[in-house]
Amino acid sequence: MSTSPSPEEAWEPLAPGGWDPAAAAHLLRRAGWTAPPGEVDRAVRDGLGATLDRLFPSEPLPWPLPEGAARFEETRLARFQETSKAPPEEKRVRQREERERAQAAVQDLAIRWLDYASQPGNSAFAKWVLMLGDVFVVASEKVKNPAYLHRHFDILARGAFGSAPSLAKAVSRSPAMVIYLDLNESRREAPNENFARELLELFLLGEGNYTESDIKEAARAFTGYRVRPAQGEFFFARSQHDDGAKTIFGRTGRFSGDDVIDLAYGLRPAGVRLPRKLAAFYLSDEPLPHGILESLGARWRDEGGFDLRWLAMKFFGSRTFFDPRHRAAFIKSPIQFHLGLLQDLSLCVTPLPRHTLAPLRQMGQVPFDPPNVRGWVGGRHWINSSTLAARRNLVEMLLTPINLETLNADEQRELAAGLGRGADNFTAGDGMGARFDGLAPGEAARRIAGTFTSAAARPEFIRALGEFISGVPAGPARRLRIRRAVAAVLESPEYELC
Amino acid sequence: MASNTPTPHLPFTRRRFLLDSARGIGLIAFSRLAPAFLANPALAAAVRPERDRSILVLVQLAGGNDGLNTVVPYADDNYYRLRPTLGIPRDTVLPLGDTLGLHPGCAALHGLFHEGRLCIVQNVGYPNPNRSHFRSSEIWETASASNEFLATGWIGRYLDNTCAGSPAGSHDPVAVHVNALNGSPETFMGAQTHPTFGMTPYGVGRGGSDQTRRLLEEDIGSPADDDGDALGFLRHTLMDTLVTERKVHDMLGSYRQQAEYPHTPFGASLRNIAALIAAGLPTRVYFVTLGGFDTHVNQAGTQARLLATLSEGLGAFQADLSAHRLDDQVLTMTFSEFGRRPSENESRGTDHGTAAPLFVMGSGIRGGILGTAPSLDLPKNQDIAYSTDFRQVYATALENWLGCPSGPVLGGQFRTMPLVA
Repeated sequence: MSTSPSPEEAWEPLAPGGWDPAAAAHLLRRAGWTAPPGEVDRAVRDGLGATLDRLFPSEPLPWPLPEGAARFEETRLARFQETSKAPPEEKRVRQREERERAQAAVQDLAIRWLDYASQPGNSAFAKWVLMLGDVFVVASEKVKNPAYLHRHFDILARGAFGSAPSLAKAVSRSPAMVIYLDLNESRREAPNENFARELLELFLLGEGNYTESDIKEAARAFTGYRVRPAQGEFFFARSQHDDGAKTIFGRTGRFSGDDVIDLAYGLRPAGVRLPRKLAAFYLSDEPLPHGILESLGARWRDEGGFDLRWLAMKFFGSRTFFDPRHRAAFIKSPIQFHLGLLQDLSLCVTPLPRHTLAPLRQMGQVPFDPPNVRGWVGGRHWINSSTLAARRNLVEMLLTPINLETLNADEQRELAAGLGRGADNFTAGDGMGARFDGLAPGEAARRIAGTFTSAAARPEFIRALGEFISGVPAGPARRLRIRRAVAAVLESPEYELC
Repeated sequence: MASNTPTPHLPFTRRRFLLDSARGIGLIAFSRLAPAFLANPALAAAVRPERDRSILVLVQLAGGNDGLNTVVPYADDNYYRLRPTLGIPRDTVLPLGDTLGLHPGCAALHGLFHEGRLCIVQNVGYPNPNRSHFRSSEIWETASASNEFLATGWIGRYLDNTCAGSPAGSHDPVAVHVNALNGSPETFMGAQTHPTFGMTPYGVGRGGSDQTRRLLEEDIGSPADDDGDALGFLRHTLMDTLVTERKVHDMLGSYRQQAEYPHTPFGASLRNIAALIAAGLPTRVYFVTLGGFDTHVNQAGTQARLLATLSEGLGAFQADLSAHRLDDQVLTMTFSEFGRRPSENESRGTDHGTAAPLFVMGSGIRGGILGTAPSLDLPKNQDIAYSTDFRQVYATALENWLGCPSGPVLGGQFRTMPLVA
């Protein structure tokens, strides 16, 4: 590419001739976790428009409340009442047990989300919701309730492709958010500014687009938002709400919380905030040329009416998204690396924290557990020698059968439960390289690199892979070498990119 | 440069690199991709750090080791009341004195005890014990209070405190773990990123991964078209890691051990740790895991096998270090996320419990028994109450062995113990 398109041209649809297997693979890798060859063929056949329709459906793809979280929530009220009646010493013991129970249930929730998101048909939708959850951040460490965390993701899923202001309003009523950003503690006499600050700074506008006084006044508008601990439901405590006049963004009125969100969406920066997030989450960790995101933001407001599905279609269908400079140039997040690897090897999520959540923690990203309210930073921040080693360890782990003897008793139970749900292939067996078996070594090397990576592998690497494969005669020894060649490609820098 | 030379492999060590450079085998093409030491010749030429080192080896007994059947209170009738089938018979324990004895599988440790090179710290735990594997491991690894959630491990914070002022550029690992499944242990996580390194029990990958590593070297073995982009950045970082892998691989390959290690993954892990120590790797902390201690059912056979693995491995490790005259540089310490319930269960096993004894081994320690034994005058299914906080042991290791103030690392002052000679 010699020249950048103008901000107006940047969001024009991809030229019809541009939709080819490489473009389809790019879309599948960025919108979902990876691009299996069969899916690429299907996308090319269907065309860009139909593929976008399928990846970003107008109806949410449901993620039912997992059993563990449901059980936690069903019995929570009874436990809550028992605890509140207990004498002080016993109360402390009960509260501690409750924390442990919550933590185990949150781990289970994370594994079940990964399981849901790893299904190829759910991938793009689950990733979009993950992106929204990286805007409207909550963290398990503070929320400590798997059912609230699930509800939060459910709110994001239901509003995923509706109106952005409506979604923000729904999120302000999410029990997880009310707890996470202290709305629960905010009283008419003493408004807590935590939610109002992050709403303006991180969720809607960005720094520099509001004043300290706007935050103080907005905090007043959100007083009275509560979670009823017994029912676990949002409610509006009118007696705690400050319904007096407030001055926000230079306008004065007896504004409610919802009014604050509408007022914010009346400001130009609100239109740019989410497009900027899309670019950072899906496209590039380098800033796009000046004016491009502003142009998309203006069109999203004027033509798209802040509709999220409009934005997804425009973004993922655009020339900018398919620009060659953005192909195979983006570092996969740990969740994408993990789930993409499972899909590339046709594996199921292992239902054990030690096998699934521990690698994610070492790579730097556990679902529902972002480092802080800013969410994950991403890009090159994912990579250092320790996280890179963790990525390679994960590859080796998925190529090694699980040693049942080293599992704890509860891990063996979890594994049995996973098998009961129909998941069985947790690690890649001997058949892993079978599809490359019958090929001449050089061709096998080219196919292995081409199947798993989007970055063009260096000819020296392909040649080395081919020589390595041809070093032993066809048969079991060669199958083993093909397996190691696949491992080398999956552990290569090229595979870190999408 | 002749254009027909094969793609050069990475320089494995600083010294090798300097030698290669001196011979004119240029690797200047690496320049912008080079590991930090290549880009800074002053560091590359620097002399190896100190010979007088204090090294800490942490041995994690994962799953929750049953302390009562490890250090057996054989004179206590309550013990046999609580353990009608699992109790270790009086006449088979390896006596440590009039009241305590080691499990019969711990012959090597028993020998070390009588030589004054093994210390048993009794009844170690923490207030408000947690009985979840995950959470209690986290408490031990982060050295947190029971109700406190820390994102960093205690060794990670030690590294945060000691490495802050060290010269940038060295990419030798400051901590090494041998842990087949779990990658870098939480113990090592610091607020800053520290170069840590992981091995399998059999070294830098079992055969297969060694082949993978060679192939990866081919992938990054010549300069990228544009090393400023994401791919160049990834290649650079991977190369740093591979240089360390290769160096470690060479150290393991050339090591001449002076003791017979048991043929178990745990034995192999300790052998490799001894190799890295003997080769002079400046790493201060090693971490090795022995798993399988979660003995809910038919405990006797499983635990006997595991304790024999532990004892024989540690015995060989200590003998090997002594033969290399490195034994005064190394302190080895075990820990487990919890002990087990004093009363055995209906399946001839034991359930998750609380405090347990731990072992400290080395020539630089005071052998013997520290702390007080737990009272077993307990009703069925009640857990023992700890008497020594595990953070006292950590404080001792930090202050008296690693020579680092423990307050900033442990977030408070814990009384040290007379462990180090």
